[in-house]
Amino acid sequence: MSYQLNKITVLVVEDNKPMLDLTKSILKSFGVGTVETALDGEEGFRKFCSTNPDLVIVDWMMEPMDGISMCRHIRNSDESPNQYVPVILMTGFSEKKRVISARDAGITEFLVKPFNVRALYKRLVQIVEKPRQFVRVEDFFGPDRRRKRKAEDYSGPFKRKTDAEKFSAKKKDKVEHIDFR
Amino acid sequence: MEQDHFNQKPKRDAQFITPPNTLKSKVGDGGLTEVILNRAQDLLENNTQDFRPLAEIYLEQMQNGLQSAQNALTADTDENKNEKLIAQILYPCVQLKANGGMFHYQLVTDIANVFVKFMEVVERLDAETLEIAQAFYTSIKLIINGQIKGDGGPKGKALMDELNSACKRYFEKHKEKINIDKI
Repeated sequence: MSYQLNKITVLVVEDNKPMLDLTKSILKSFGVGTVETALDGEEGFRKFCSTNPDLVIVDWMMEPMDGISMCRHIRNSDESPNQYVPVILMTGFSEKKRVISARDAGITEFLVKPFNVRALYKRLVQIVEKPRQFVRVEDFFGPDRRRKRKAEDYSGPFKRKTDAEKFSAKKKDKVEHIDFR
Repeated sequence: MEQDHFNQKPKRDAQFITPPNTLKSKVGDGGLTEVILNRAQDLLENNTQDFRPLAEIYLEQMQNGLQSAQNALTADTDENKNEKLIAQILYPCVQLKANGGMFHYQLVTDIANVFVKFMEVVERLDAETLEIAQAFYTSIKLIINGQIKGDGGPKGKALMDELNSACKRYFEKHKEKINIDKI
């Protein structure tokens, strides 16, 4: 049994027509039922309001409205039919400060271009299987910006005497699990 | 009577919401098969879109940005204008980096990526940064005009090494110009 993507609608917003067509073709080959398209953020938001898609994939740099502004409209506008819709931002930027500013606009996932099919698929699985909680504070509404880290990955100092014991037990479990494979 | 937050509006009172996972309820379980993923990857790798017309638009924008920066060099530019000038050169190059590899021009992506990393930490534009920017522009233009697809082989690697070295030499010479806040 596999995902029934034929039941969903995805909106792709990208001002670069060849890239728009390519992304649409990839989604179609995944089996996505309906792919709506738009060439900039303004048209994208209008289409978002009229089609209420299940997922939005949007490019960052567009004129007159970019992907970040469009995402802010989705999250905060009264016209938005679904403020919780997952938004994947496609961009050539990969620097930390850019990722942080995208995250602060309410982006759900970040996809660095050029990408391969598995990178796009990985974001899709993340959205379907591990959806994020939403947070509303005075100056932000969007997906929870914190990522949970595994305890085993922690390399900092321990706070309690018992932490070292717990940590080594978890690490041992992990190693034993790998060995059995 | 005890006062909540001294009668002030709470500033960091976060409300956590778990939205209904409508996407999951529609698509079900199981992910996508390897067959589907491989087919999609084949489609991506064998796409016949011509990247050159698009690349030429971005190159023209980059060239205009370089020209504006060149003109502004003689004038005493303020910080805001400096950032605007950097953006005029940087943004089209980000587009070249983003799209080159999607349409078989991996060397364009690789070279543009080095330039983006360079520009992200440059403090201010000066004659030397513009000289380096011009070298990147010329290299990318040559690749597009020569229709050099893929990574360009040994010549591509030599070009990459040379451009990388130019950036390294710049920062070795001007250690004071590294903008720590931007790293």
